[in-house]
Amino acid sequence: MEELILQLKEQLISELNLEEITPEEIDTEAPLFGDEGLGLDSIDALEIILILERNYGIKIENPAEGKEIFYSVGTLARYIDANRK
Amino acid sequence: MASRTTARIVSDNIISALGFTTAENMAAMHQYKSGIALHKRDDIASTPIQAALIDRDKLATKARERELSNYSLLEQLFILSIADTLAQAGMEHPAAHTALILSTTKGNVDALAHTADVPSEAFLSYTAQRVAAYWGIDAQDTVVVSNACISGVSALVIASRLIGDGSYDNIIVAGGDVLSPFITSGFLSFKSISTQPCRPYDALRDGLNLGEACGSVLLSGNGNESDIAITGGAITNDANHISGPSRTGDGLYYAIRNAMNEAGVSVEDVTFVNAHGTATAYNDEMESKAIHWAQLQEKPVNSMKSYFGHTLGASGVIESIVCAHALQENFIPGTLNYSECGVPCPLVVSDRHIEGATSRVCVKTASGFGGCNAALILQKGSVHPQPTTLPATTECVSVVEIDNATLKVDNNIGYEATDEDKSFATFIRGAYKSLDGKNQKFYKMSDLCKLGYVAAEALLQNCINFAPEEVGIILSNRSASLDTDRKHQDIISSDGESCAAPAVFVYTLPNVVAGEIAIRHKIQGENTFFIQEEYDAAWMENYARKVMAHDNLKYCIVGRCELLKENYHAEFKLIKTI
Repeated sequence: MEELILQLKEQLISELNLEEITPEEIDTEAPLFGDEGLGLDSIDALEIILILERNYGIKIENPAEGKEIFYSVGTLARYIDANRK
Repeated sequence: MASRTTARIVSDNIISALGFTTAENMAAMHQYKSGIALHKRDDIASTPIQAALIDRDKLATKARERELSNYSLLEQLFILSIADTLAQAGMEHPAAHTALILSTTKGNVDALAHTADVPSEAFLSYTAQRVAAYWGIDAQDTVVVSNACISGVSALVIASRLIGDGSYDNIIVAGGDVLSPFITSGFLSFKSISTQPCRPYDALRDGLNLGEACGSVLLSGNGNESDIAITGGAITNDANHISGPSRTGDGLYYAIRNAMNEAGVSVEDVTFVNAHGTATAYNDEMESKAIHWAQLQEKPVNSMKSYFGHTLGASGVIESIVCAHALQENFIPGTLNYSECGVPCPLVVSDRHIEGATSRVCVKTASGFGGCNAALILQKGSVHPQPTTLPATTECVSVVEIDNATLKVDNNIGYEATDEDKSFATFIRGAYKSLDGKNQKFYKMSDLCKLGYVAAEALLQNCINFAPEEVGIILSNRSASLDTDRKHQDIISSDGESCAAPAVFVYTLPNVVAGEIAIRHKIQGENTFFIQEEYDAAWMENYARKVMAHDNLKYCIVGRCELLKENYHAEFKLIKTI
């Protein structure tokens, strides 16, 4: 799981162009969206859907259903771990 | 004071999935026909898609009759549409000194698919010049408006102003876009396309359908009172998000309010509202709020997207034409596929037409990426004469120039790249940091946006105080967003259409630069992005002064923002009304 969390953080940093942020600086359980945490927005959410599809074979058709899954790196990692092919 | 010349729609044409003339399109709408159907065509999308496509065989026949084989599909459409508009006015050629305003979001972007380069055919001004030359219209009298999905309404607003102040007696406004994998893959990546025919404002709506169309109108200052008049128009920005509509509807409300004020029409005068109505969850929700703010919630509201699909740069033009004819016919079109209200602020929407209403005024709106909104007032019969507004008298507050790895503020060097690395990426990052820039979103922007964003940051760094609605942004360039367009095309060409990246696609519209600046500095006044072959500073500043007088703006950012690969040049001026 730790390995998956680190890998996810690295993917988010490179795919979402997060400038000057290291994986260590991302709090695994902090919210990804909104003004707290990483401050990601709806376009980032669509990009995360692509990360899940490409790297883990997980398809999320409706961005609305991703709300709880996308809450934090931790929720994402646990979802991937349970659903990956 | 002299009164403003009233711009009237003398004649028009619509080419869409529903037909090749306005009459054919109106007849189809009366019969509740939709142009949307399931298509399996590789030249449109790699997967089956619900879309409203123009009959290509019929187009080819018409193009052959006019000997247009040397023109691209979109150029043929523009030429054929204008030919019919002129014919409807009993003309074979435009009158002398007629201007041409072209509205398109992606032009001939398909040209990128056949090469690794950026060929001249892909430039919007190239298309405009070819169409203008065909009709003998001077290059000086031709301009392109590329303001995302509000382009068509923007172009009509701009044209009515240029007729209003006597700059031109006659202007042809033509809007067109055709579909290709470039566009469909981008919208699919946004998950905004429905797998079914779209249902604007409905509880079960789940996305839009794309469509292709081309429409044109001949606007004249010498029209008859029996012609529909454009009596007001306004363009605003949400200053909220580049792809998501405002959550409050404030920007669209301001546009409706300003346009109605200009026209001198009250809520009681309005017969119906034709909104953008794309049938995405957030767009329709936002519109319902704005319509309530404008107190128009008792008036019939309709969307034409379930007939034509979302026809992008054509939508504002063709939908305004339908509105004009609907006013003439005392007809209020119903919204196809609507059944149950699904917007938070209830609207008067019906899937049935209303015939025989005494029609006077239509409010036409559009909203688009980059946070832009536009509203237009179409009016039947006599109109109250309005005073002309003279261009504002202005002074230049500051000038910023970015060129050749150097940022200059009022001719003084503000930041220079080091000799070791003069690449744009390194330079612009250094320039942003030199201005204390801390917005993480900066690093996600396209290069064109970074350029404009840094120029605006330098221009406004001295903390000028203004209210959101007191500032406008009027920009122009030659290559639109072709730098990002190339990137998007490369992704879908090499990795497949399903790999289109929303974070890239959202920047395939040049006006998103103005959107990013508007969000950063909370600017909600007029924002327009023109495409010009050569940057015409005098024309741009003169236009900005007209807008400033018109909209009572205190400040306006006016300039060029040009970037294609490592060639870039930004020149922004902040001008102030005195």
